[in-house]
Formats: sequence, structure tokens, C-alpha cells
Amino acid sequence: MRRILSRLFVVPAIALAVLLLAPAPSANAHGETAQEAFLRMGTVSFWDVKFSATEVEQGEQLKVTGTAKILETWPEQLGEPELGFIGVVAPGPVVIIKERKINGAPAPHAIEVHKGGVYNFEITIAGRRPGRWHVHPIFGIHGAGSLLGPGQYIEVKESGKAFTNPVKLASGQVVDLEKVGMGDVAFWAVVWLVVGLVWLLYWIVPKRTVARLPVTSQIPLNTDGMEYGLITKRDHKAMNVIMAVTLVLLAGGWIYQARAYPEKMPQQVLRFEPEPVAMTPSFVQAKATEVRYDDATHTVTMIVDVKNTGTRPATLQGFTTTTLTFPTAGVAEPVDGRSMTVSPSPTVAPGQATKLTLTISDHVWREERLIPIGESRMQITGVLRFKDDAGAENFVTVQSFITSLSA
Amino acid sequence: MATTYTTTDARPPDSRTEALRALLNRRYRFLDRKWDIVFWATAVFVVAAAADITKLLFAGDWDFWTDWKDRQWWPIITPFAVIIIPSALQYIQWLAWRMPTGATYTALCLAVASWIGRIVQWDWFAGFPLNFVWPVSIIAAAIWLDWVLLKTKSMVLTSLIGGFGFALILWFANYITLAPFLQPMEWMGLPMTVADVQGIEYVRAQTPEYLRMIEHGSLRTFLGETQYVSLAFGGTLAVAGYWIGQAIARGLAIWPIGRYIKKF
Ligand SMILES: [Cu+2]
Repeated sequence: MRRILSRLFVVPAIALAVLLLAPAPSANAHGETAQEAFLRMGTVSFWDVKFSATEVEQGEQLKVTGTAKILETWPEQLGEPELGFIGVVAPGPVVIIKERKINGAPAPHAIEVHKGGVYNFEITIAGRRPGRWHVHPIFGIHGAGSLLGPGQYIEVKESGKAFTNPVKLASGQVVDLEKVGMGDVAFWAVVWLVVGLVWLLYWIVPKRTVARLPVTSQIPLNTDGMEYGLITKRDHKAMNVIMAVTLVLLAGGWIYQARAYPEKMPQQVLRFEPEPVAMTPSFVQAKATEVRYDDATHTVTMIVDVKNTGTRPATLQGFTTTTLTFPTAGVAEPVDGRSMTVSPSPTVAPGQATKLTLTISDHVWREERLIPIGESRMQITGVLRFKDDAGAENFVTVQSFITSLSA
Repeated sequence: MATTYTTTDARPPDSRTEALRALLNRRYRFLDRKWDIVFWATAVFVVAAAADITKLLFAGDWDFWTDWKDRQWWPIITPFAVIIIPSALQYIQWLAWRMPTGATYTALCLAVASWIGRIVQWDWFAGFPLNFVWPVSIIAAAIWLDWVLLKTKSMVLTSLIGGFGFALILWFANYITLAPFLQPMEWMGLPMTVADVQGIEYVRAQTPEYLRMIEHGSLRTFLGETQYVSLAFGGTLAVAGYWIGQAIARGLAIWPIGRYIKKF
């Protein structure tokens, strides 16, 4: 008796243990600095990321635009990039995505991608939850994880009215995407709860529970104990009625849904390979030959062999790595106070081959743990942006091992 | 004549039957209704947690999002995930009290736990609209499972008939609530379902679309009837899930404790 009673608590105990060990889902983890530096730098580069507004009302839209490139330096240990998904990351659905174009085409779902692919994205988002939210574009690559683009704080202001998200169905009916179908879901949740409770209460209210053990422990499992009064004919009849009611409800529900929602289709998967963007013909070649890092001054010095193969003078505009851009001092405006100096001159004459020294002194190397000290690959990767005097642009990926490190 | 070996209502009860009948109606001094309430009430939390975690473990995303509730994977994965604990409780409650209530009891606990989870964690905390993250209801399927046990008095038959029917009823009951989300609409001029659009619009950074395991189509076709193949496969898996539940109840819950208690 006591033995069987105690047995009843083991399944619960196991369940509780599983509950305590189960990881909790995290709703807000940008965690960009948690990834290894060479992975962040060598995988995807974002440039020209712009937010068309930083303050919107609920329901008001803004555009996140920019370019993401899967670099040629994509690390081999991550596997070949094949499927990608460009979206935004925010602390949950505080904004909603109303449109997404990649290289000019509507891209609702993941896209087929490849090394070296360049993707111009244009994502229209609308404010949903009031608050100040950090929003990034994000490039997820199947098998590798998600890589963040530069973030921006967006202020979503209260519109004063309840947020709705009206959408038009193929039938022409306009519904609120925040609420559609919820009536059906709630109705059936309650219906089944009631039917289930009737079933359960039928047994546990009029009948004693624990006091049945002295009898059940003496009879085989495959009997309903009718001869001892454990389960009666009346019980059987009552359960038949509830079972029948359940089947009638199922049939009724089925007929209802077929009439109320005659038009249905399976969930769609709309994947495609975006048309390649028209790239300017190459007019410049660049190769990083040496990278030095001096921790005392937080300075990265990069020596780059540059050759202008075009017919016009080309100017180095800046260096982009992970979410950071360092515009060339004297050529472009600093971004977030960041810039780099280029010597002897950022402009390379047509046909000229030269060695440029790029110097970037910035605490950010340390703060964002971009210098891969202590990692298995001490490598720096990024994209150099060149522009000729007619406005044509080339983006050249450079990568080099760190050749000298002074801590 | 072998009349002494057959059981009919006309046959007068033997002494053992009489004794057990009396035992069932015996009044105990300390074993009163208070303990019944304690049992049924305290078990709610652990059973709910066990059922919810098992579902989360095996069918998490399929249960979280409407755009994962497809016709290929959802009817296969879900019944397996949600039959395990009902089966275990069914064994325990049938064994201990001879009540066909274990599955329904688990289903009710799970319903309460799932809805609290979706409302508090998903709606209030994470901010997803409830109509995107509603949980399936397994109550109708659980009633079926308990009913089959009551009728067959056999765990083997319940696993086969009950398990298969469990998968079917589970899908039927929840397809009714999924229907409004399968209505077609356009997004940027492309045809898709309401559920798809929910999946696109409500930012879900931890689950990029390429991770969505739903029907993608393949060269192999079963006369185009994905749905029926999935239901048949889901039914078979539910039978397997039923026996995992039985193993948990018999092996993990009953046997080791029996050994443990014998030591004292
Ligand atoms: Cu952020």
C-alpha cells in the first residue's frame, strides 16, 4: 500500500529534474561579441546600412537598407554557404517586417546564396511595441549561424490607439493579423477543457481514489474490476456518452471549418537565388601583406599592395569589417567618430602599383574583441572600398594573418 | 460442465470477490478524501511539467508557430511527442485506482500549462500575438485513449488502436483551429498562407526561415497525398511513443522505487 503510493512520485520527480535542467529560451540575445573575431570578420560584411528613420509611431514604417556580402574568405570549417536569410533582429517582435526585397526582388523566405555573393537588401519594418529598441540587419547562413549588421536604436512611440496589423486575404476580406483565427482557437480550447473536465470529474468526485488501492493491488491489470464494483456498467455508459459527444464535436468542428474557410492551401516555401547585382568592372586590385597590432595604442597597421588597373585615379574610401566602418580621414566623413589614416596617399593613379599603409587607432578593437588574441586563427579580414573620380566603386576583400603583435 | 470457470452475473460471488467488494467499501480512519485531493492536486504541477517538457523537447517549434503546423511533419512529430506522458499516467492511474483517466488528466494539465506558458512567456514577455503561438489541444485525443483503455482493458490494444486513433484525432481536432491560418493571401504579390505571413512579419530572429521544417515537396510522391502518408506514419510513431510512456511508467517509476523501498 505505502509502497505503491510512494511509487507514484517518481515520474513527477523525474519530470521536475528535467524541468530544472531544461534551458530557458532567450528572447534578447544579440551577443555579437561572443563569436570569434576571425569568424565575424571573415564571413559576412555589411556596408551602407541605413535606417530611414529612428523614430516612428506604432504602425508607422521605416526602411532598413544596405548591402551584405558573403566574403570570399568564408572560413572553410563552417561549410559552404548555401541558404541564407536576411532579416532584422530586435528584442522580439517589437517591429514587424512588412516588405523585404533582395537585389530588387521580393524575398519572403530564405534565399540561395554562395561565397562572394553580394546582396542589396531593402527591408520595410513597422513599429509595433512602444519603446526604444536596438535593431540590426542580420544575415543568417544555414549551418553557420547568424551574423549581425550594424545596429541602430529605434524609438517606437505610442500611437494612442490599439495596435492593429490589417492584411487582405485572397478572398478580399481584411483581417487583423494580430487577432485572426484567435476566436476559433480560444473557443475550441475552452470546449475541450470542458469535455475533458467532465470526463475527469466524473471519476474523481463521486469515487474515492486512494482507497481503491487495496483492491486494485490484488487484481490483474487487464480487468476493469467490475465484479468488485471498481468500474460499473454505469461508468461504461457514461464514458460512451462522452466519447460520442467528443466525436460529434469533432465532426461538427470539421464541417464548420470547411464552410467558414473554404479556401485553404498548405504553407508555402518561396526560395530562390537572387539575380546577381550589377557590379562595376574591377579597376583596382588590393592585397594585404602585413598586419601589425599594438595593444598599448589600440592600433592596427595594415600594409596593402594596391594596383590601379583602370583608366582613372582611384581613391581608397575606407575599411569595413564586421559591423564597423573606418572611412579614410580627409576623404570621407568619420562614422561614429571612427576613421583611418592612409599613407602616403589614398589616391592611386591609373596604372600605378603602390604600397599603402592603413592605420586605425581605436579602442573598439579591444571593446568588441576584434583582435583575435588567444584564438586559433590570428587573422584580420575586411573590405576596402575604392571609388574612381567618375564615382564607380570597387569593394575588395583583404585578409592577412597578424604578422606582429605587441601587447 | 465448466460453469465454475465462467463469469456471469448470475453466478453467486465467491468468497474472495465478496472480500474485495467489502474492501472497496471499507471506511479507513486515516485514508479519507483529504488524501485523494492531495494526490490529484499536487500531481497537477509535475504532470503538467513532464508533459510540457516532453512536447517542447520533441515538437517545440511545431507547437510554437502556426507556420510550422504543416501537413507533412506536424502530424508525424506531434502525436509522438504528446502521447508519451499520457501513456505513462494512464498506466499508473489504471494500475493504482483502476480509473481510465491518466491520458485525460495529463491532457488537462498540459492544456493549463501550455496556455499559461504561451500567455505569460510568449505574449506578455516576448510580445508575440497569441494567434501565432497557440498550443495544440490534446484533450480530444486523450479522451479517445482513455476510452479505448476502458473498453479493451488492455495496454497492448490501447497502444495499437488507441495510439493510432490518438494521432488521427489529434490532427483532426487541431486542424479545425488551424484552418483560418491556412487561408490564402498575398505578401508582396506572392501567394502564401496567413500562417506564412505571420512567420515573416513577426520578427523571430532565433528561428530563421531556413530552419523551418515543413513540407518542401520532393520528387517522390505518394499520389500527391502527403497528408494521409503523414497521418499513417504519425499513427505508427504514436504507438511507439505510447510504449516509451509505458516504459517510463513501468521501468522508471514503478520498478526502481519498488526496489528502493524493499531495502527498508
Ligand atoms: Cu543590438
